[in-house]
Amino acid sequence: MSPFVTPETRSEIPATKPGAAATVTGRKRKSLPLSGRIGLVMVLFWVAVALVGPLIAPHAPGAVVSNKVFGPMSLRFPMGTDYLGRDMLSRVIFGAQYTVGLALAAAVMASASGTVLGLLATISGRWVEEILSRLLDALICVPSTIFALVMVAAFGSSLPFLLLTAALSYVAGAFRIARSLAVNLSVQEYVQAARVRGEGRLHIACVEMLPNMIHPMLADFGLRFMFIVLMLSGLSFLGLGVQPPAADLGSLIRENLSGLDNGAPAVLLPAIAVATLTIGVNLLIDSLPQRGDDA
Amino acid sequence: MNHSPTTKAPAQDAGLSRRQVLRGFAAAGALAATSQFSVARAEGPRVGGRIRVASVLSSIADTLDPARGALSTDYTRHYMIYSGLTQFDSRLEAKPGLATSIESDDATLWTVKLRAGVEFHDGKPLTPADVVYSLLRLKDPATGSQVLAIASQIADVRATGPLEVQIRLSAPNVDLPVILADSHFLIVQYGAADFRTAIGTGPYSCVDFNPGVRTLARRNPNYWKPGKPYLEQIELVGISDESSRVNAMLAGDLQLINGVNPRSVQRIRSSSGYTVHETPSGLYTDLVMRQDSRPTNDPDFVLAMKYLLNRDEILQAVFLGHAVLANDQPVPPSSRYYCPDIPQRQYDPDKGRFLLRKAGLGQTHLAMYASPAAERSVDIATLVQESATSAGLALQVNRVPADGYWSNCWMKHPLTFGNINPRPTVDMLFSTFFQSDSPLNESGWRDARFDALLLSARSERNESRRKQMYWDMQKRVHESCGVGIPAFINLIDACDRRLKGYFPIPIGGLMGYNFAEHVWLDD
Amino acid sequence: MQVILRLILKRLAAAALTLLLVSVIVFTITSLLPGDAAQTALGQNATPAAVAALRLKLGLDEPAILRYLHWLSGLLSGHPGYSYSDGLPVSALIAKRLPESLLLAAATAVVSVPIALTFGILAAMYRGSMLDRTLSTTALAMVAVPEFLVATVGVLIFAVKLRWVSALTFELDHPSLREFLRGYTLPVLSLCFAVVAQMARMTRAAIVDQLRQPYAEMAALKGVSTSRIVLTHALPNAVGPIVNAIALSLSFLLGGTIIVETIFDYPGIARLMVDAVSYRDMPVLQTCAMIFSAAYLGLVLIADVCAILSNPKLRRQ
Repeated sequence: MSPFVTPETRSEIPATKPGAAATVTGRKRKSLPLSGRIGLVMVLFWVAVALVGPLIAPHAPGAVVSNKVFGPMSLRFPMGTDYLGRDMLSRVIFGAQYTVGLALAAAVMASASGTVLGLLATISGRWVEEILSRLLDALICVPSTIFALVMVAAFGSSLPFLLLTAALSYVAGAFRIARSLAVNLSVQEYVQAARVRGEGRLHIACVEMLPNMIHPMLADFGLRFMFIVLMLSGLSFLGLGVQPPAADLGSLIRENLSGLDNGAPAVLLPAIAVATLTIGVNLLIDSLPQRGDDA
Repeated sequence: MNHSPTTKAPAQDAGLSRRQVLRGFAAAGALAATSQFSVARAEGPRVGGRIRVASVLSSIADTLDPARGALSTDYTRHYMIYSGLTQFDSRLEAKPGLATSIESDDATLWTVKLRAGVEFHDGKPLTPADVVYSLLRLKDPATGSQVLAIASQIADVRATGPLEVQIRLSAPNVDLPVILADSHFLIVQYGAADFRTAIGTGPYSCVDFNPGVRTLARRNPNYWKPGKPYLEQIELVGISDESSRVNAMLAGDLQLINGVNPRSVQRIRSSSGYTVHETPSGLYTDLVMRQDSRPTNDPDFVLAMKYLLNRDEILQAVFLGHAVLANDQPVPPSSRYYCPDIPQRQYDPDKGRFLLRKAGLGQTHLAMYASPAAERSVDIATLVQESATSAGLALQVNRVPADGYWSNCWMKHPLTFGNINPRPTVDMLFSTFFQSDSPLNESGWRDARFDALLLSARSERNESRRKQMYWDMQKRVHESCGVGIPAFINLIDACDRRLKGYFPIPIGGLMGYNFAEHVWLDD
Repeated sequence: MQVILRLILKRLAAAALTLLLVSVIVFTITSLLPGDAAQTALGQNATPAAVAALRLKLGLDEPAILRYLHWLSGLLSGHPGYSYSDGLPVSALIAKRLPESLLLAAATAVVSVPIALTFGILAAMYRGSMLDRTLSTTALAMVAVPEFLVATVGVLIFAVKLRWVSALTFELDHPSLREFLRGYTLPVLSLCFAVVAQMARMTRAAIVDQLRQPYAEMAALKGVSTSRIVLTHALPNAVGPIVNAIALSLSFLLGGTIIVETIFDYPGIARLMVDAVSYRDMPVLQTCAMIFSAAYLGLVLIADVCAILSNPKLRRQ
């Protein structure tokens, strides 16, 4: 699992540097480099698996179809069987759906509400800002695994609550980035000018500031997605996570861990799946043109 | 390793009826202990050596107080440090411990003769006052005793001589000598209260105790069994992650572990320096159908679910064969009171479907709660869900965290899973989990005839009449009680091949938690 | 200097407020947890009579808000109460575990920070090259695999097969360098996997950012070698963000190590806190939460002070 805030979060914070925001807006459009394309293919592949896979999965995810546990790859079971004799291919397909869907939704929730709160804190008065900052600081202080553990123990691990837990764990980090970006932007000339023009706060936030925050927030979103995938797998290690017989990719690794010693595909394949998904997302994000990359 | 059901020799029965005296022990007094010791010495146990042992769980709730022991790690720690009035043998009968004899005429008033010359780790002698204190504190709710219900059978304990104690029960119970061998009944020193450290009369003395981390114990040279124990030092830790536990043993960091997953057995057996000890036991994970909610109180539903337990599949897929087929009643085949006459219930989806339809439950949606707290219940639930679907019943598996499962989930919903540890006596098992007014009556099953049989069996001194009663009770549970018991789970320990002296005591892993005084380490 | 003092004072005030909030949040959520310390302690044997008696003994019959205030006033006077589980003073429990956590964090920092800096600096110096891509992808791959898998694979290879190191970390009865290396190598390496990537990425980003500044471009035009520019100009100016990344990783190493602690049976404070959740041990849980939060806030503050001290422009403000 990951530290509570991405390093990139902090990189934005001493952003009192003049001109930082200007380079954000002044970036050039470029076609993706090779690594970005590889990343894009990996991401699209998993999104496709998540969307289409369940329609073509050979078995139900919970069906025990073989009396051989940790079976090898074969024609009948292309990815082998798991610790109960279930078809790994089907389980990975349904697992991808959970991992991609849950992590995506949670990352969207975290980033979106972080951005909104960050803007709100910047354009509102000192009290709102102070209250929001303290509250979200308090949230970021508690280690995310333990926060998730308490949440699941208190409210159960139904999908909505799992989603909420993951989103809550990462909203504070998104808030910090969004706020530091917004603070930088609010001293920019064109924002000052809008203020002089007498534009309303809402107009300044939505029209002048938000469009210039989207790109860095998107980069942050990708990292957040990866951390949520890893956090879900960490939760599954602690016996929390989605309800059986369904399992996310991390749970698949966990439940088949005893096959690791003899190299069962049941544990290797989901591990490869998690790795390709998270590396793919990051390759894609890294290769999106950023302020550091036009040198 | 599998102990066939045994009956008491007829000669003993005759002796019993002739003298009308209940003796706690088959053999006379201290002889039993010494004779076993001499056999062991013939094989040449070595004194010395240090081992590290890992049990399945360790947390800040770890305790040195036998009364509050809640987990196998606690029981193991307590047996290392303390001794009981009696001890279990490998058939779960009572052997002499700190008591050299324990006798009664009426199964209500028991006279206990204490062993002379036993010393606590601090050098003080064992006195009747220590025994009185140890037993009476189990009845005090403020102790936080785990056996409050059982201990409330004890009406009074009095010192009646320099080495004699009398225990008066509130009602007859012929099982008292066996109950006293349980780890909660171990003898502590008079006045012991805060348990920051532990002073007992057991084979090892406590050197360091750090809750959630480790217990370090050193050989007690003044142990009351001459020559024993053998090891110089034992370090006991708790490791909750099974693969960590097995890996650490195979890496040479641990010499003895319990709670081995059936999936690891082959791997350990094929390693050069390690071996597996498997003990068939009374441990089971059961499907609990509450009799106070709908639709689980419908007798047709209960029977349907019992038919929908695909026992063979559970045995193979979940336990890889390291379990014994069970028949919806809690007495395992290894017990001497096991009833062999009940026909085995088979997986029968058609009968299940028929019964469900008869109960008008063809299309019901129902949640089934399972948890890692109840061993393998999540996997069993997954399989039950599959077979229920094939019979037209939509069951949803709700896996809840181990955390808080017993207090908040188990028995609180119509369909939950329980996990029942082996109990030393059939009476304890029945009266805790099946008696109508027991707070832990898992399914809320009420059967007046069963309750009556239970009470008569408790005071019945004729062994064959008692056995008949237990057989009848097993039949009643099998037929109508709201629990489905698919399998008895084998206890699987693993150890370094150099560790010798291991024999199973089927009350729990690690030789019924009591390995410490028996094992030695060969060079 | 004054600006730093003012910053520290302001942050300390905010931190005190944050800590209070954390304790309120933690207390509220834990009181929503089903069951209490008495029930969980008795587990399967939690009959109503037994639970009621234990509750009385632990003081759980008091209203929740009162228990919170007791704990809070105790904490303020330096005595955070007694554990519900074993009756020991909370301070004694923490005193046993905190040094272990600090030791593990320190050992991991000593290994991971130099690796991460080297990765980051090299990648920045040769950005866009094969080396950059290899280093960046390696770092990514390290963090992309769930921690428990990395740890278990490590145990299988280095402890079970090769027997070079120990599969568990035990309390050292006779500490020696050899014993230390045997016990700590695997946990430290597993944690390095989790933190190196992020620190390396951060270092690279911060240096690349500096290399784009006019002064660096000027130096490059004058023909100063890349390594010289990076080491003497860019790196000192990038200290702020880098120190920040290190601070965050350190705070993770204190509280986020539950998986490594579980696998290696390491007696750290994260496991203590998870135990406290399981046993509804409010005093222990609250105190652990305070320690983590204080550590996080403290580290971030130190990092910001470092950032200001290292940056002449900020220093002058």
